[in-house]
Amino acid sequence: MPSAILTDGLTKRYGETLALDDLDLDVRPGEVYGYLGPNGAGKTTTIRLLLGLHAPTAGRAELFGIDAWSDPVAAHRHVAYVAGEPYLWPSLTSAETLEFLARVRGGTDIAYRDALVERFQLDTSKKVRALSKGNRQKVQLIAAFAARPDLLILDEPTSGLDPLMEVAFRDTVHEAKDRGQSVFLSSHILSEVEALCDRVGILREGKLVEQGTLAELRHLSSQTVEVTFDGAAPPPPELPGVRAMKAGDSTLRFEVSGPVAPLITALADKPVVALQSREPSLEEIFLHHYGGANGHGSS
Amino acid sequence: MGAAEAIARGTLRDSRTRTLSFALLFLFGAAAQGATYRSAYPTVEDRLRLARSFGNNEAVRLLYGVPHDLLTVGGWMSWRLGAIPIFAGLWGVLAAVRALRAEEEAGRMELVLANPVARGTVFRAALAGIAAGAVIVWLGLFVGILAGRASAGGSAYLALAIMSPVPVFVGVGALACQLAPTRRMATTIGSGVLVVALVLRMVADTSSAGWLRWLTPLGWAEELRPFTGAQPLVLLLPAAASVLLLVASAGLARRRDIGDGLLSARESAPPRLHLLSSPTALALRTLAGGVIAWLIGIAATAVLMGVVSNSVASGLSESVQRQLEKLGTAATSASGYLGFAFLFFVLALSLFACFQLGAMREEEADQRLETLLSLPVRRAGWFAERLLLIAGLAGALALSAGVFAWAGAVSQGVDLSFGRMLEAGANCLPLTILFLGLGALALALAPRAGTAIAYALVGVAFLWETIGGVANAPRWTLDLSPFHHVGLVPAEPFQVTGAVVMVALGAVAALAATWAFDRRDLVSG
Repeated sequence: MPSAILTDGLTKRYGETLALDDLDLDVRPGEVYGYLGPNGAGKTTTIRLLLGLHAPTAGRAELFGIDAWSDPVAAHRHVAYVAGEPYLWPSLTSAETLEFLARVRGGTDIAYRDALVERFQLDTSKKVRALSKGNRQKVQLIAAFAARPDLLILDEPTSGLDPLMEVAFRDTVHEAKDRGQSVFLSSHILSEVEALCDRVGILREGKLVEQGTLAELRHLSSQTVEVTFDGAAPPPPELPGVRAMKAGDSTLRFEVSGPVAPLITALADKPVVALQSREPSLEEIFLHHYGGANGHGSS
Repeated sequence: MGAAEAIARGTLRDSRTRTLSFALLFLFGAAAQGATYRSAYPTVEDRLRLARSFGNNEAVRLLYGVPHDLLTVGGWMSWRLGAIPIFAGLWGVLAAVRALRAEEEAGRMELVLANPVARGTVFRAALAGIAAGAVIVWLGLFVGILAGRASAGGSAYLALAIMSPVPVFVGVGALACQLAPTRRMATTIGSGVLVVALVLRMVADTSSAGWLRWLTPLGWAEELRPFTGAQPLVLLLPAAASVLLLVASAGLARRRDIGDGLLSARESAPPRLHLLSSPTALALRTLAGGVIAWLIGIAATAVLMGVVSNSVASGLSESVQRQLEKLGTAATSASGYLGFAFLFFVLALSLFACFQLGAMREEEADQRLETLLSLPVRRAGWFAERLLLIAGLAGALALSAGVFAWAGAVSQGVDLSFGRMLEAGANCLPLTILFLGLGALALALAPRAGTAIAYALVGVAFLWETIGGVANAPRWTLDLSPFHHVGLVPAEPFQVTGAVVMVALGAVAALAATWAFDRRDLVSG
């Protein structure tokens, strides 16, 4: 089976701005892929190229082996999309909107849609113009998941949802995954990505700077080791790949990239009282990649 | 710079394109009238003849109002510029809705009001911005009239008279903004009031019920009688009306919730599942309300034209007919008058096409189109079907203009063939299709400027047709305006060649537009 998403040297330039630079992505069927990046890194640009709404300047994007730009209709039969800014038709009610989207798309699972309306507690008799952003987001999410597409492309789908609905959203993504559907989740809510995604790609200024499973990313990143000594902390050992800083009178914190063994050896003859090591959170990985510099690309 | 000043400047800046367009249009329109009169009627004798022929001609009164003095440039201009107060009123409605409602609908007003600024201050500051824009439009008009070599004082007063409906319709627009829950509905209410005011003036100017003129701001503009026995005290009427409307609006503005209107639309409704099967069906559903408003406006105007076509002067001498032809009218019989009057529908339907292209652009700009085109929907299909839908709706409106004008004429005992009037209606279509195609091409090639380009094409072509005709411009330059190739059906035969060329050009442009739209990025914002 071809990849759900495959991009090859995908590049997009808007005038002088290089919004996306030589992107190679491969999202496999059944995979939940987290797409991370700060505002303006090029996440939405990527999605517009994947949906064939914008033409690539160079390279190509395929959904299930179908070119996204030259044959969007065939590609879209496999896809449902949830936009970050939920623009819908203000004069329609939610029920009418769901009906319209289902009829135009075809193949919507009506029973599942009713279940989702229940789960997301959506009042479908309300007109879209009277809905809050979160509720308009729900309309889009319900329409997308009820279509049972092979691939869901979600652009910051939970930005307007409350914590209860966030839970409902995670359950729904898990159900989709269990059914073998793929999910491309663009987000900057790291806890959400950490909880849902098999693999993560990190975008910075239009470039994919890191990609892999969370375990792989952690491996690549430094881990933190906190050591407490009996009495005042000794001067830290000078070791390659190890950064040390004081974290209290008798405590040192080490940022270790690579194996920890040399540090343990160096500390063997010191009066160590306690040693704590923890893996970096996704947030730390993320911040590590942005290292103070902000992305200024166009989204 | 204080908050109020910043808001007023913002209001002026937001509408600068529209304000400048209206100011320039008025300037050239007024200047052309002065030049025309001098060249067409150089002697007192010519002018007397003109006065005799027009004194009782209801056909031309319909659009320009009652002439009081056709022997001087000032008197001529104050009559021939009688259509401009209508556009000035429209400017007022649009300016008010833009300043008072559009910001709210976009959610920006909440940002403004989150600052330590009172709602009353924002309201007054927006009005100050509109007033500054009105002064710019007035200046354009004043300079244009002055260029026609009228006296400075008289020109200033005439320009003031023509602009006198502006504050009233700003008031109408402001009130509509308090009542309507959406910007679109506020514009519709405001324009609806303008249409009623116009119909009242038309009836007053063409029937014995002249007193009706006192009920409409457009009539007050006439009663100010510039150059022909000025009645400046009449200015108290628009002044009082606008103060009343604005005070009422300010009062209501304090009472309602931001982003909502007093006539709040129902927030909930049982689902109605018709017209949801395709994007084009949905477009028909969402556009229906607006199209019905167009239909009512067109039907009312057509009936009125039909009714007065009976009383149009008949048996005019040949020399007077020539004078009329110079003005682009051959209004010597009911069908002659209708042939001329239907040029109005040619213009109106071309503007309808522009308006609908604007709605297409709006869908792209606010990203609803992205939601739609992420479904298995062909982009070229969406574009082409929408153009066909607009053409179809324009066709229905055009035919109904013919039917309603026929009904109005027949009700007055005019002998008019139903088939010919249908033809007169259909005759409005080729040019509409041409402008639709060209406008679509503009939308495909220059998305952000497309709607403005479409309107500009129609405006320039129409202006050239009306000014160039009387200014004795070389023939080939007149041929450049497509309006010049529209036959005055039912007075003249249907110009087949012209119509075929226009439809063909329109279709080619529409195809090119569809091709180009299929290949470009969607452009939001």
